[in-house]
Amino acid sequence: MASPETGVAQTGVDETGTDAPFRQQVVQTACDLLILLLERDEPVTEDMRLMDELMVSSLLGLELLLRLEEQLDIQIDVELMDQDQITTVGDLATFVASHSRSF
Amino acid sequence: MTALDSVAAYQPTSRRTVEELAGPLGLSEMEVKLFRRFHGLREICIDPDTSLTELLLNAAAGLDLRGRQHRVRYVLWARAFPTVVPFPGNPLHEVCQALGLGHALAFTLTQQSCASALQAIDLAGRLLAADTHADPDDEPLALVFTGEKAFTRDAQVLPGMSLFSEGASACLVSATGSRDRLLAYACSQRGEFDPAGGGTPERFQSEYRPLLAQVISRALAQAGIALADLALILPHNVNLVTWQRMCRLIGFPQERVLLDNIAGNGHVFCADAFLNYQTARERGLLADGDRYLVATVGAGHGATFAAMVFQH
Repeated sequence: MASPETGVAQTGVDETGTDAPFRQQVVQTACDLLILLLERDEPVTEDMRLMDELMVSSLLGLELLLRLEEQLDIQIDVELMDQDQITTVGDLATFVASHSRSF
Repeated sequence: MTALDSVAAYQPTSRRTVEELAGPLGLSEMEVKLFRRFHGLREICIDPDTSLTELLLNAAAGLDLRGRQHRVRYVLWARAFPTVVPFPGNPLHEVCQALGLGHALAFTLTQQSCASALQAIDLAGRLLAADTHADPDDEPLALVFTGEKAFTRDAQVLPGMSLFSEGASACLVSATGSRDRLLAYACSQRGEFDPAGGGTPERFQSEYRPLLAQVISRALAQAGIALADLALILPHNVNLVTWQRMCRLIGFPQERVLLDNIAGNGHVFCADAFLNYQTARERGLLADGDRYLVATVGAGHGATFAAMVFQH
């Protein structure tokens, strides 16, 4: 079954409606992209805080979203994003997995 | 009570797309995509053949000044940039001469960058309120201009945030008018964002929306109304995503923020509020008695966050 929001096959939808396998794909892609964008030598993990720990600015955050859209072939509902509720890489992945649709 | 008696705005018809600007402005492919996808910027107005003086006169042409020139005591020009022409040129004086306003006290405000327009409206109202006049039919007026050319790269792009567009506005202000009455003005000048004092773009970006929300809240409190009482918000046209997020932050429906001019006009320095006002009037978005809010941010050496509440 395809989610009307994510447009991807749902094989592991959790109680919040988030597609777990897709969310994990977003986590991995976001971590890889952050290593690239931040020019980091160390790995980036799901529990890392975007602003306080990784020093991701608003602008860099938008670039991250844009690259996620391109790599995952999705469109993210950025207008629905509440930045106060997105602290970690994992929070971002949860939002993207539940507020995006495939092209 | 300070009021806007009439408002006119002008933008050149000559336009350039974000893609056309990429080369001259040195924008990366990613920056172009960001401007398009998230910032909602499609094109800007820029006309190298139109002078600053012509920009202001084109805006003033939308006002009916005939027979009222003698009532105009002050002419204010709100700008983002302190210096716009080589000495001894002075477009404002040229405009005053052309409009028969050589008698008026004319000066420029730039200290609050793109927020200077609201400061100019407030100042014009206070200057007029302090004036005396014997004949009620000769109530003094102030003419407030905005208008800017995007001469240099710094004047054309706010990196990662916005693209500037050329345009101008002219607004007749009175101390006691009834057309668009100023109910409240809140302003917060934040010197800590000045890079010379250690301010960083990251800090500015992270505090931008909360600080703008604060002045909006202060303006509403001064006006004695709630956010839900606003018929419309006329924003500065910095970009789309900033206002989408502002709406979520303050809990205001995005449909009641006039964002349609961002894509095709870009950020027109101090003139956004007046261009958006003109659009709101043309579309019949303001009914008699409606309260609306104008909000803007001026950034440069420090930042100014400002908001005004009007009743139409």
